[in-house]
Amino acid sequence: MSGDQSGGEVGIPCEWREEFEAAARRPLALRMRYAFIKTYKPVLDDARFRAWDSTAEYRDWCERNLPPWLGYGQL
Amino acid sequence: MIGASAIFRRGSVMGSFEYRQAEEIRNSFAGHGVRYLFLGKSGAILLGFPDTTQDADVFPEKNVGNCRAVAAALQELGFALAPAEVAEIERGKDFIQLKNGPFDLDLIFAPDGIERFADAWERRVEIEGFPVCHPDDIIASKAATNRQKDRESLPRLRSFRDWWMQQKR
Repeated sequence: MSGDQSGGEVGIPCEWREEFEAAARRPLALRMRYAFIKTYKPVLDDARFRAWDSTAEYRDWCERNLPPWLGYGQL
Repeated sequence: MIGASAIFRRGSVMGSFEYRQAEEIRNSFAGHGVRYLFLGKSGAILLGFPDTTQDADVFPEKNVGNCRAVAAALQELGFALAPAEVAEIERGKDFIQLKNGPFDLDLIFAPDGIERFADAWERRVEIEGFPVCHPDDIIASKAATNRQKDRESLPRLRSFRDWWMQQKR
């Protein structure tokens, strides 16, 4: 983001600052209604329960099993 | 069972996470004495971050008593846990993904980027009784995952942290 787009304080883009301020005016229950959406995620949503011994194993599983477009892969 | 959890469909056709369900987690976990924090984007949303996510991430403290309390609370909330699954929660496996209840929930006993629960607990923020990780911990955790989806959200999340800190002054 360029400096021209910021609100002048710690480089927060004006558009984002306005969104943060608008969100702050909404009650939490409404913010949550806007924020939590549910769409089907292939593979990830196809099991009722999964557990991994380590977070690293979970990341590795995501890398090997999930479609790349879901965004769970390592950079 | 607490509230109306049972009316929510399970599996991939279930509805999205709602305020009432967050209240149910808060109340049930409190009733069982669970020490936990909301983490990830769901935690940021509780803090006021305007963005979207699909499920709730909870960071419970990893010790025997707390893990048992988490398992008991989840069953009370309506999660259909087989005995083997209860055992895995009670063992405190580092990452547990639950889609067998009234809403999707990730239990992250060892999140990337956060060394100790006690430190995150000291820095926590309380929002309407919900214990939430400090934005710095949420950012540290997301940055440490090194995933595409997190990298895309980090600049906006960092700006939100800066804005949020300004409001606290």
